Amino acid sequence: MSIGGTLASALSGLTATAKAAEVVSSNIANATTPGYARRELQVASRVVGTSGQGVQIVGVRRSVDMPLLSDKRLAQSTAGDADARAAFFKRMELSLGTPDQAYSINGRVAAFEAALTEASSHPESEPRLSQVLGSAKALARQIGLASRDVQTARTQADRDIAGDVGKLNTSLDRLVKLNVQIRRGFGMGQDTAALQDHRQQLIDQISGIVPLREIEHGDGSVSLYTTGGAALLDGVAAVFGFQGSSSISPDMMNGAGLSGLTLNGRPIATDSEGSAIRGGSLAANFAVRDELTVTAQAQLDGLARDLVERFADPAMDGTRAPGAAGLFTDAGSAFDPLDELGLSQRLAVNAAADPDRGGALWRLRDGLGAATSGPVGNSTLLTAMRGALTTLREPASGGFMSGQRTFGTFASDLLSNIATARLTADGEASFARAKLETLTSMEAENGVDTDQEMQSLLQIEQAYAANARVISAVDAMIQTLLEI
Amino acid sequence: MVQLTVGDLAQSLILSRRNGTLKDSIQDLMSEATTGLAVQKTERLKGDYVPMAGIEASLTQLEAYRSVGTSARAMANHMQIALENIAGSASTLSSSLLGAATSHTPSRIASLGLEAGQRLSGVMAGLNTRIGAQSLFAGQATDRAAVASVETLMTALDGVVAGAISSADVETAVNDWFSDPLGFAATIYQGGGPLAPVPIGRDQSAQIDITALDPAIVDTIKGLAMAALLSRGVLGGSDVARADLAKRAGENLASYQTGMAELQARLGSTEANIINTGVQNDAEKSALETARLGLLSVDPYETAAKLQEAQTQLETLFSITARLSRLSLVNYL
Repeated sequence: MSIGGTLASALSGLTATAKAAEVVSSNIANATTPGYARRELQVASRVVGTSGQGVQIVGVRRSVDMPLLSDKRLAQSTAGDADARAAFFKRMELSLGTPDQAYSINGRVAAFEAALTEASSHPESEPRLSQVLGSAKALARQIGLASRDVQTARTQADRDIAGDVGKLNTSLDRLVKLNVQIRRGFGMGQDTAALQDHRQQLIDQISGIVPLREIEHGDGSVSLYTTGGAALLDGVAAVFGFQGSSSISPDMMNGAGLSGLTLNGRPIATDSEGSAIRGGSLAANFAVRDELTVTAQAQLDGLARDLVERFADPAMDGTRAPGAAGLFTDAGSAFDPLDELGLSQRLAVNAAADPDRGGALWRLRDGLGAATSGPVGNSTLLTAMRGALTTLREPASGGFMSGQRTFGTFASDLLSNIATARLTADGEASFARAKLETLTSMEAENGVDTDQEMQSLLQIEQAYAANARVISAVDAMIQTLLEI
Repeated sequence: MVQLTVGDLAQSLILSRRNGTLKDSIQDLMSEATTGLAVQKTERLKGDYVPMAGIEASLTQLEAYRSVGTSARAMANHMQIALENIAGSASTLSSSLLGAATSHTPSRIASLGLEAGQRLSGVMAGLNTRIGAQSLFAGQATDRAAVASVETLMTALDGVVAGAISSADVETAVNDWFSDPLGFAATIYQGGGPLAPVPIGRDQSAQIDITALDPAIVDTIKGLAMAALLSRGVLGGSDVARADLAKRAGENLASYQTGMAELQARLGSTEANIINTGVQNDAEKSALETARLGLLSVDPYETAAKLQEAQTQLETLFSITARLSRLSLVNYL
């Protein structure tokens, strides 16, 4: 019965074009949805018996460039890593300040030295002595602020790790559920494209945290591994464990007061070399918390120690009892080389010279241990203190390159170390970002092109009209037969 | 059939990213054009802040040296004036005394004694000069007067010379008292040890260590005081002895003038050193400022050209965005 066959073909054509219009409309609606993979209707000629009859819908294909997507995800994690490191150094650079800014450590050192110079010409002048005290306090405070910023950066990194871990765990959990749904739909021959979109978006979101490799299985489900080799999603979701700390002091380290990372209950390494999670924002935050900030703190402590020791020379001020604290103290008491960690945060000016804390300004001139005020024009101690700042001295600690330097040079060396590290980290971050941008652009190019969709829509319109025309022709033919 | 398509998102991504980059660079260039200094300091210095910190610290330090130099110069200046007055008093009185000694006129001797007393009190007031609160000749005890009053000095001397019967006795007694550590130095001088050197430039310091206890000044006071004793009835019995005392005082004062001149010359050379160092500091300051500018300055022409370029690019980007957004098949269907 060929007229019936014609009608059936035309009807299948109508169905196929209607479905095609639906796909086009979905594409256009999602033209600006990030992570939406363009759909294509796949059709084939229908075979009935041995002859072809009409068109059949094979399925809806998601157009995804898998190699490009996995490259983009790796770039995302590299950028996440580089950004976190660069952000830390940028923050440190701001906190130390550049020498042309009065509030920088270097600016404070210069002001302190100038105050000592001016006071040595007028040791009797109270304003000049209080300027010495004020600038010494400002210098100690600035070094303390920088150290506090280091610890704030650690606390922030710790919090970020907790956030990353939480996000990883929830996402992995949802991914397991999605995997199950997709596998079921796949088996039943349903359209799982929307679910797959959702899954892809979820994986994209966590691929900045750890670098991921996605392996697709024949049943539509995927497995996820880190490039370092840890299985995150393999039928079941891995569970990361981490305990955030609310506040961090310089003496807290990974394993000593600070939480490490566990994977399925077992502790895993988090150092930047060779750990299973290396290469994403999670590892970068661990690096900031356990490596970069620790180095920066040690350098600041080295600077503070140098300052304390410069003013602790017994030959400089004979009135001090042997072993008593100099102008700069460790929270009021003498500095103990065994207790250097965190010194920069505890750095304080000796209370004996501070009228606000029961001291007297004239002790800056006559000696911190002096019981009574001496000749008001005596500038020996002030000149000696100024000399202490500019004497060439070998840094005792802090991991600085050996070589004698003045205190000002020491401070600018510290800044230069941070600034150079920032430049390197910035260079890596901008390289990683450029790569990510290029790959994101390429991915976007594979996305929905409305112009093309409109063209398809024109074709669909025509095809629909043609099929409808065929039906009306068949109708006319049958009418003719019935009129006989 | 492989179809060449470009997703809508790609276009908007590129346009918005380009827009961000351009606005960012315009921001930097605008700041550079107005300040003349590079915005990206770390990038410009390649992370090495040591030279810049050195320059900034030196500039701050030079500012301090300038203030120290100014006050040291003012101090030296005032001291020089005081020394000049002392030397002038001594030399005038010395010639008067030598002239009068030959005349033996008792009234002339007595009036010279009075004049010596007045000049002595002028000299001692000069030694107690202050700039602001700072006493000039008191050494480290800048809060105290350098010497006690004339009356204290003369009363002490009255006791020392009481019972002397010849001018030689008086001279010896006065000399002994002035050189005795428990004499002038302990009872009249109220200041402290000499001032320590003050820094006035890089590795340069100036020491104004002249106090009222300087031998040249003490000698002059001694000569004046010896003459002033004449007004207090010393050697009352013998006009000849009094005339002889006047002569001895005159001679002594004349011989002490060299010491005063040397003292003035020493202070003068310190003053010159302060001035020279000040000039050197000014030269160093402008050299450092040039160097600082060299570290961070940007070529204004280059900045202006880049700014113009960025502006043109941004305008082009805007018109492209406008045109591309109209360029859609939808509008033609």
